[in-house]
Amino acid sequence: MTDSPNSSAAGSFWRGTLAVMPLTIAVIPWGILAGSLALESGLSPIQSQAMSAIIFAGSAQLVALGMIKAASGLMAILVTTALITSRHLLYAMAMREAISPLPLRWRLILGFLLTDELFAIANQGKLAKFDPWYALGGGLSFYLGWNLATLAGILAGNAVDNLGSLGLDFAIAATFIALVVPRVKDGASLLCVLTALCLSVLCEALAVPGGLLIASLSAMAVGYGYSQWGGRKS
Amino acid sequence: MIWITILAMAALVFISRYLLLDPKLPIRLGRRTQAFLSFSAPAVLTAIFAPIVFLRDGSLNLSPFNPYLSCALLATVLVLLTRNTLVTVIISMAVFFFIH
Repeated sequence: MTDSPNSSAAGSFWRGTLAVMPLTIAVIPWGILAGSLALESGLSPIQSQAMSAIIFAGSAQLVALGMIKAASGLMAILVTTALITSRHLLYAMAMREAISPLPLRWRLILGFLLTDELFAIANQGKLAKFDPWYALGGGLSFYLGWNLATLAGILAGNAVDNLGSLGLDFAIAATFIALVVPRVKDGASLLCVLTALCLSVLCEALAVPGGLLIASLSAMAVGYGYSQWGGRKS
Repeated sequence: MIWITILAMAALVFISRYLLLDPKLPIRLGRRTQAFLSFSAPAVLTAIFAPIVFLRDGSLNLSPFNPYLSCALLATVLVLLTRNTLVTVIISMAVFFFIH
């Protein structure tokens, strides 16, 4: 890249790597689970690693593995994947101003790397300050961590019994709490989070299809509505 | 069959991430849309973690003996006190795996 001096590019890359580091550490149990569950669902070690290497979407992978194990059809798996992954449309929309002017190569790479975690560190709302090298550092190091953790899960998969019952999913909860709570700074964001919390629990308990999207969009609407008409200016 | 599933899933996930980043898509974001989208991170992340914390075996569990709930409260307090993601994540996960 010629648009930024090399030293600052490397610096940004490193700062992105550091910013995502807590999330990379927290994703390790989740990756181990993905690797071992893949073997348990009948995938070969290569297929198990390929899931993390080319899909790179933890929640979609874990749900799909459960469905593969239950011998669900391809169509059912893909519809479920589409629902789970639909939140990335929101992320891409929010990052559009920052990423779409970049060259194709950057868009493809950052698009591929656009996980919950990368979105959380790269989208701070100050779009003018978006730094692609920072996002690349965060995205690539997180990708590496996720795949190494999957590999560890594949290697340990046969050695550890009942890995699924260890409660590795708490890692995701801890990470997201650490990301969300500091962002609750005003009435609008508090209402948004509370709405998402209540609706997602309700939808999940009632097994409503698309509950994640319903809860997210409703929460965004409540937060936005409050900031525009009810509360202080956003 | 598994390879087809993996490749089709990969294509779906990539499209959902890339599609709206493409400048050829004729979308202009107004100020209101951007303000709306600024709520996407807390909304989506909360909607992902809340069911993990509050539901056990598909039903609401508000007992203090639900380790997910007690450790989630611990994580909330820790991040408010320390403002440090790494410390919060590591301590709350360590306590969780200890009591679980």
